[in-house]
Amino acid sequence: MNTTRYSRQIILPEIGVLGQQKLQNARVLVIGAGGLGCPVLQNLAAAGVGFIGIVDGDVVEVTNLHRQLLYTLKDCGKSKAVTAAEAVLELNSEIKVNVFNEFLNKENAFEIVGDYQIIVDCTDTIGIRYLINDVSIVKDIPVVYASIYKFEGQISVFNYKNGPSYRCLFPQTESLGSVPNCVASGVLGVLPNTLGSFQATEVLKIILEIGKVLSGKLLLYDGLHYQTQLIDFNKNPAAIEEAIANGLMILQQNSNIVNENISVATFIEKCRQDNCLVIDIREDYEEPKWEAPNVVNIPISSLENYRNQLDENKEIVLFCQSGQRSALALAYLKKEGFTKLSHLENGIESIKI
Amino acid sequence: MILNIKYFGVLAEITKKKEEQLVLEDSNVTLNSLKMKMESAYQELQKNNYSIAVNQAMVGMDTAINDQDVIAFLPPFAGG
Repeated sequence: MNTTRYSRQIILPEIGVLGQQKLQNARVLVIGAGGLGCPVLQNLAAAGVGFIGIVDGDVVEVTNLHRQLLYTLKDCGKSKAVTAAEAVLELNSEIKVNVFNEFLNKENAFEIVGDYQIIVDCTDTIGIRYLINDVSIVKDIPVVYASIYKFEGQISVFNYKNGPSYRCLFPQTESLGSVPNCVASGVLGVLPNTLGSFQATEVLKIILEIGKVLSGKLLLYDGLHYQTQLIDFNKNPAAIEEAIANGLMILQQNSNIVNENISVATFIEKCRQDNCLVIDIREDYEEPKWEAPNVVNIPISSLENYRNQLDENKEIVLFCQSGQRSALALAYLKKEGFTKLSHLENGIESIKI
Repeated sequence: MILNIKYFGVLAEITKKKEEQLVLEDSNVTLNSLKMKMESAYQELQKNNYSIAVNQAMVGMDTAINDQDVIAFLPPFAGG
């Protein structure tokens, strides 16, 4: 770690070298690399937060440039997540950045959130804010929230040390589809930069364990009239329950989605997993042999006879020479009620030994 | 009693004011009855989702409202 680079913050007694180490080890996921995401990313990268994930499926547009200061005119048309990653790495090459060039949705949320310690909600859609809330409650991760409207903004930290959540503040109702975003209503360019800086401050406080985190409090900011105020709010058990139920349902649905066609890399990985049964469905004279502790040979012609010896709850990976017979075997086992099935898409031939 | 009402975001556009003072004859007012009163005065409010804070704290809809209370109408913002 280059301590000179961070000397002006290390000199603060509240941070010190130990605090800088905490920042270096921290894993923060920034969802949305737009008006809020840009200042959050800039500040976290500059402060030396070691692992930053960037989620955004959008591309840079010329109308973004008045407020999204990581981007320049030449970036228009390029992926926001990729461009933002390049920009922050230029700012600080000591950190690691993970790019998710996609929008967060129910299908990918749990996978993307993975083992990040803090989520920063910089999105612009109410529905996605509820999704982030529900996933974060199931995974027990704090969310640093901000949202903006024209000249006003809101900031809070949800789900911090079992504290109140987004749903406790704004219970979900039918009419939410009507809440306008920046495209529909316009926004003063500097506003998200102010709010994003507030978010980055909360992220650093959480990592450093200093000060008073904005949990159970909503900070309201009005740039046009220079008014700020804090609103207290409590945990609402019914809202938390709703979040957990919804989050678990999404998690359950995700775990049912299995990619049936697997690549060579995934196949080799599966051959190392004890909880996975790999079946070579070729006849026993076929070459090349493929050996691993969890590989068994059941020729497709005998598969029906062996069906009752196979555990329906166990993950099964099938392979043959070119992937054609294994696809047939997969279809057969699926019909028999097996659910955790996949096969090596292009067969053992596709492995270059 | 006299109440101070504040509106945020799109709600200030519906009411066309950031705040107003409300004088009520009735002394027996809950947050819920106040909400209904305001939604009949500004009918567009009914189409919006918002939370209401009393004296800078979110409280239940059955909370009694008192003279000089500050009531804030807060919609969630979507923008980011």
